[in-house]
Amino acid sequence: MSYLDKNIVELHNLLVEKKVTPLMLATEAIEKAKKDPNNAFETILEKEALEFAKTLVEPEKDNLFWGIPYVAKDNFSTKDILTTASSNILKDYVPVFDATVIKKLKEAKAVLIGKTTLDELAMGGTGTTGHLGTTYNPYDPEHKYMVGGSSCGSAAAVAGGIVPFALGSDTGDSIRKPASYAGLVGYKPTWGKISRYGLFPFAPSLDHVGFFTRSVLDAAYSLNLLQGKDYNDSTSSFLPNEDNTEDIDKGIEGMKIAVLKPIINSVHEKVILDAFDKTVEGLRKAGAIVDYIDFDEDLLNAIYPTYMVISCAEATSNNANLDGIKFGPRIGGENTYQEVMMKARTAGFSELIKRRFVIGSYSLFKDNQKYLFLRAQKARHMIVRKINEVFETYDAIYLPCVAKVRNPFEGGYSDKLSSTYLVAENHLAIGNFGGLPSISLPIGLDNKFPFDSNLTAKAHEDKKLLRIAYALEKITSLKDLSVEKVVK
Amino acid sequence: MNFEAVIGIEIHVEMKTKSKMFSASPNRFGALPNTLVTPLDMAFPGTMPRLNKQAVIKALRVVNALHMEIDHDLYFDRKNYFYADLPKGYQITQDKRPIGKNGYVEIETSHGVKRISIERLHMEEDTCKQLHLASYSLLDYNRAGTPLVEIVSRPEIRNGEEAMKYVAKIREIVIYSLVSDGKMEEGSLRCDVNISLRPAGSDVFGTKVEIKNLNSLSNVQKAIDFEMHRQEKLLLSGQKVEQETRRFDETKKETVLMRKKTDAVDYKYFTEPNLVPVHLSDEFINDAIASCPELADEKLARYTKMGLGKEEALQILDSYDMTMYFDKTLDKGASIKGLWNFLTGDVASYLKKNNLTIKEFNVSPDHLVSLMKIIEKGDVSYPQGRKIFEEMVKNDEDPLILQEKLGLKQNSNQDEILTLCQTAMKNNPQSIIDYKNGKDRALGFLVGQVMKASKGKANPQMVSKTIKELLDKE
Amino acid sequence: MQEITLELLKKCANNLMFDMKETEYETLLHEFDVLTKQMDLIGKIQGIDDEEEMTFPFPCEVTYLREDEPEEPLPREDVLRNAKDVVDGQIRLPKVVL
Repeated sequence: MSYLDKNIVELHNLLVEKKVTPLMLATEAIEKAKKDPNNAFETILEKEALEFAKTLVEPEKDNLFWGIPYVAKDNFSTKDILTTASSNILKDYVPVFDATVIKKLKEAKAVLIGKTTLDELAMGGTGTTGHLGTTYNPYDPEHKYMVGGSSCGSAAAVAGGIVPFALGSDTGDSIRKPASYAGLVGYKPTWGKISRYGLFPFAPSLDHVGFFTRSVLDAAYSLNLLQGKDYNDSTSSFLPNEDNTEDIDKGIEGMKIAVLKPIINSVHEKVILDAFDKTVEGLRKAGAIVDYIDFDEDLLNAIYPTYMVISCAEATSNNANLDGIKFGPRIGGENTYQEVMMKARTAGFSELIKRRFVIGSYSLFKDNQKYLFLRAQKARHMIVRKINEVFETYDAIYLPCVAKVRNPFEGGYSDKLSSTYLVAENHLAIGNFGGLPSISLPIGLDNKFPFDSNLTAKAHEDKKLLRIAYALEKITSLKDLSVEKVVK
Repeated sequence: MNFEAVIGIEIHVEMKTKSKMFSASPNRFGALPNTLVTPLDMAFPGTMPRLNKQAVIKALRVVNALHMEIDHDLYFDRKNYFYADLPKGYQITQDKRPIGKNGYVEIETSHGVKRISIERLHMEEDTCKQLHLASYSLLDYNRAGTPLVEIVSRPEIRNGEEAMKYVAKIREIVIYSLVSDGKMEEGSLRCDVNISLRPAGSDVFGTKVEIKNLNSLSNVQKAIDFEMHRQEKLLLSGQKVEQETRRFDETKKETVLMRKKTDAVDYKYFTEPNLVPVHLSDEFINDAIASCPELADEKLARYTKMGLGKEEALQILDSYDMTMYFDKTLDKGASIKGLWNFLTGDVASYLKKNNLTIKEFNVSPDHLVSLMKIIEKGDVSYPQGRKIFEEMVKNDEDPLILQEKLGLKQNSNQDEILTLCQTAMKNNPQSIIDYKNGKDRALGFLVGQVMKASKGKANPQMVSKTIKELLDKE
Repeated sequence: MQEITLELLKKCANNLMFDMKETEYETLLHEFDVLTKQMDLIGKIQGIDDEEEMTFPFPCEVTYLREDEPEEPLPREDVLRNAKDVVDGQIRLPKVVL
């Protein structure tokens, strides 16, 4: 009997009814993880997980996460557990503290099964740049198409039916895009709603902690658990916590939803457009008002370069601590401390990461800031201002997640300056620019290969966003997807 | 040709808080290496800064004492560079928006009072400590993250004396405001000096030389005077001053080259995204300023109003600890003049003789005041008082009890003293004749005889007065 | 803005304390070419120069400051656990030349 393609709520009910035990779930998850054909794991915590699961005997009715197996992207600090960020420069780093979200899950007695692969240091969207090599898409046994990144291992683990919940991080679209390729719910909350303490930073002003689940309700419960003020993260919000599941099923009668015309116009795949249109129809039937509105295309074209400059600039600074002195490899350097740093960093980072650091560093030089970093910060402001103007009228913005259902490893976009690439494949970063709550959820299957669309709302309106997403999920009936189910 | 020196000074002050600037690690000096460290100090991935309230309060006290404009919104920036002692690869500082700007201090030089403008004061964090051994260096992260303020003067200082007075004034302010212990030798207060020469009257700047690691006030003055002379000699002989960093060699008493300045380092400043801006309310700022203890200038005004001369007051204010003792003893009801005499006289010489500081002084203000009172009242003579004092420094015993124990009671009985004086005069008729002939020391001799006869217990003032009266009557 | 040359990029990489393969500098030069063109286009967006720079995604000013209360420091073993060269409870480096 296999349990782990179920969602959290279903598993919780089985646990409470004692039809299954945490140890049975952890054992199944570990077995599946060990057989994982997609290279989703940096570390499998067999001993720790089973030992902990054994201690969980009496079910906690009011604690949804009691005994639930989960995985965490390997850029969350886990005390006494190797944490690599899928980079050689951290390949033997064992943290001395837990990230706040890890701590909260531990306190809720969720069972950490393993740490998952990512694009090196979370800087990438292909799932190919981690130090253990490519992570594959469970829906593609031939390994031709990406699961996306940077939270590739977390997406693959949930889609592969190993766990019902995975922690990820999202700086540009690193949860919400792989969610599409893996047919999952991918959630990124309002900036500051979930503590980032213990998340290895990529670009703090854009970084968000989020997660993958198999249903919108699971996402709402997960947010309930992980949200809240954390004094270890000075940017975490003082606003009171809400129960995000409350009223989630109250429907969307009268709500106003905007589709940005230039973005939908830059998507050309018929299967995506058809599915999208069908959901728009469904949303209207459910009582929502859906308008297709104009948006400045110059600003949409600015998203990608703006993102590149800001994220690379912040990243080059955040990763300056990786110098081989306090942690990380000492490769040599007998003569000077510079040599120690130089050797560790030259061998420790892949060439792609180094190029990004150079771009970031160059953008910050005094003579260049005005044209690069500060200009990107201005563009970010303008984009966010215009998006927030949309929210003066609309409750949410609704868009496809991706321009192509499948993204091949070889022979993908040749023209990275085309609007299909620049706009349709990169617009999710708007949610990071404005710190907006944003959710991806499945809307279609193309020959047993899933794809998502995305809903984004005004900052701090996570609860309303989840309610709209819940309504959309009802319309599509695409819930609880996993490879076994879909392929069957 | 006449040259004028253009000198600017950057002072780093370590703030005395219980925890560090952005982490809650204990902030203290002298612990075992790497025992005052939390994850942020090691720059472990995922750690985030948390700004210390007391550090802000303390910075505000200094900002206020330096008459600066206060920024009500705190923003921080990252200063990015790689160095062995910099754990994160950047330092969190305030580049664009320092908490204070455009202030000044007034210093008293041998040429009168001079106002030195101060460009900015900003908060930042210290680096880790390096121990340089013969063949390798060791890193101790206890110091990493210690709260600092950096105070940057405008280049309005013209010579070594002014520089020394300026640093002394800043040091006095941070000590009296309880922001720092100001110990230059331990690195709690560090100053870097920029100095260039230009022809007198010119308004262009010459090539700047930086002098680092000046660990005492006198070295500040000596280093600058030497450097001015060095640069002047170069310029007069037609040579160029090189842009370089130098340090002061204490044994040679001269500045020596550390390194030539190559390209200026580009620190790639940008706003720290992990610290959201903090708004300081008027109330918060006012409370911070109000919490500042009395500064030396304010104490000076108070002491002079109470009757001390300015030089006398400065003699006390020269040591913060002495001032604290002075104030506590004043509070117990000591007369200011009497206290000043006692502290700068007997107490100072006792401390000096025994190589002690006022902090190690055993006598409590209470007991010091009662000793002063029994002397003033005439219950004991001054020499008797001194004997009591010599006992008090051992165990801080009550002087009244000691007086009993030592059997020291001054005789101030008018009749007994009169009798003693009359006896002494009767026994020494020659002295009366001498006095009449204008030999004043005869008076002293007679007083001495009375004191001897009374075994030192007679009140000397009364004896002297009585003898004089008797002599004048003869 | 500085002119982007291979030399400059090499210097830039070395300032970041790493070296790259020769071919990577060529790739980087090409990436910069694309990026600066895109950034030039952004520079032409109407009103962009008047826009204020944005660091935080939305206004999020606070009044909170951490109380100055020390926490228990890490045990020294934890401080040094990930360091590869430790002597006398301290991390060792080749002699740092001042």
